[in-house]
Amino acid sequence: MTIIEKIFTRACGKPVRPDMYVWAGLDLVAMRDFGGPNVVQEFKDNFGDAPVFDNRKVAITFDLHIPPRDEKVARNQQILRMFAKEKGIRLFDVNTGVGQHILMENGLVRPWDIVIGTDSHMNLLGAIGAAGFGMGTTDIAGALYKGKLWFKVPHTIKIVINGILKYPVTAKDVILYILKNLTTSGALNRAIEFTGEAVKMMNLSERITLTSMVTEMSGDIGFIEPDETVFEFLRSHKVENIEPISADEDAEYEKVYEFDITSLRPQIACPHSPDNVVDVSEVAGRKIDQVFIGSCTNGRFEDLKIAARILEGKKVNDNVRLIIVPSTMEVAQMAEEAGLYKIFLKSGAVVVNPGCSLCTTGHPGILAPGEVMVSTSNRNFIGKLGKGAEVYLASPATAAASAVRGVITSPMEFWS
Amino acid sequence: MEFENIKRGRVWRFGDDIDTDQIYPGKYLPLTDKTEMAKHAMEGTDRGEEFLKNVKTGDIIVAGKNFGCGSSREHAAIAIKGAGVSLVIAESFARIFHRNCVNTALLTFELKEAKEINDGDIIEVNIDTGEVKNLTQNKVYKAEPVSELEKKIINAGGLLNYLKST
Ligand code: SF4
Repeated sequence: MTIIEKIFTRACGKPVRPDMYVWAGLDLVAMRDFGGPNVVQEFKDNFGDAPVFDNRKVAITFDLHIPPRDEKVARNQQILRMFAKEKGIRLFDVNTGVGQHILMENGLVRPWDIVIGTDSHMNLLGAIGAAGFGMGTTDIAGALYKGKLWFKVPHTIKIVINGILKYPVTAKDVILYILKNLTTSGALNRAIEFTGEAVKMMNLSERITLTSMVTEMSGDIGFIEPDETVFEFLRSHKVENIEPISADEDAEYEKVYEFDITSLRPQIACPHSPDNVVDVSEVAGRKIDQVFIGSCTNGRFEDLKIAARILEGKKVNDNVRLIIVPSTMEVAQMAEEAGLYKIFLKSGAVVVNPGCSLCTTGHPGILAPGEVMVSTSNRNFIGKLGKGAEVYLASPATAAASAVRGVITSPMEFWS
Repeated sequence: MEFENIKRGRVWRFGDDIDTDQIYPGKYLPLTDKTEMAKHAMEGTDRGEEFLKNVKTGDIIVAGKNFGCGSSREHAAIAIKGAGVSLVIAESFARIFHRNCVNTALLTFELKEAKEINDGDIIEVNIDTGEVKNLTQNKVYKAEPVSELEKKIINAGGLLNYLKST
């Protein structure tokens, strides 16, 4: 069996096959400041004052508009705070960071778990061997009530990544390259297992980068078999009784892709699709107005460290705004202790409090028509960050190098 | 309410990658009344106007790959159902859209040969066996039948009703 087949087999108590429809118990139901208030409304409309199925298995995270930017958002957050209090649900308020990362850092997600939430990138939890699914309002409301949901067991695609990752080429370049090959519909409704020597050597941040962008390939979930790297992270975040999970030797994969990344150069996704990927060198020199380093895909400590290595002792170009957003408060504190904030502030970057920030419209940092941004986030759909604006997706290294030069720049130039 | 196991209707053809913004444009997201939502079903597609003017109860939508991709808005499924469409056939569906259809009690079928069906064809779909008969072209296809699990949810009128009753 593949990892997802094992997880569903355990959760529904009978052996499953791809394409089977099953009911599965949930280990965690999460909602956030966006989407969450609608869930509360639907829950109340349908189930009145009923308690949630198990308040220890529900969490609310605020990561989108933090602190609230207008009255409507403030009101929405208030609705969630009241609901949390009423039902005894844990709430992570405006000072915490990106939901999925917060759930991991607080020991709420473990290998084997099935987790659902209102965000499109819940699947990044596959980086620690949990099955995360983004869901709509009705699903989450129903899940809060019953603690179970129906699933169609997905087929699994295996992606083997061989070779050795050489900085400043990063996991982001690898996943962009894979996206280029598989396209935005290449993993439609599929689970992916990433494996291979390059993956085994990746730290958790890099694994999160890989698994988060499964969404952009229309995949359900991307797994990496958890190993000591993950177990150590979990142990240091108070998770006990960790159970390893791995695919069986004879697991059946619908397709197997192999990539060798030894000679991979920095990659960039051009407007307006995440699979519109070329070598950075092909678009180098293009003028930019803004750079964003952060998001659930590239906002971890290691991501900031690479950016800092390039920014150290340099200034952000006069024609560019650089916005840096750590994914969580824990990451921010690590960055502060490691001296990264000093480097960022000296370079002229705007450092924002932890959260999702420039992942979608409505946030501080939105672009004007015709403006161009290099972003470390995961989507560059037309209009997502401002009407008539263009977004390029790249690694923190490419983003930082471009911020310094004021044009799209390969980080190779800064690496010695 | 049990549904009849044979559905017959006129086909409305749509292409690949029809996203939820085409099915239900974002500007109508504030609407909460289902009859109002139905007035905007498929409005963002290139033939939205024609569809809304002529769609009749029992009509069937047939689309290409990845139908319902994009945002997770449930309005998309609700509006299609509200417009009278009895079921949607596509080469493939985006996961969340498919979930939303089941959860709001709209029938969907995946059919590899969806592209062979033309706009305006009259087709007949057997819910239990997944057999799709194209009466206009005189062809027969086999789609995956609706699973027992989906049927139960759809018969109950959607996910929340189903969960309340179990
Ligand atoms: S950064 Fe964007 S995609 Fe990631 S969790 Fe936040 S809103 Fe979702």
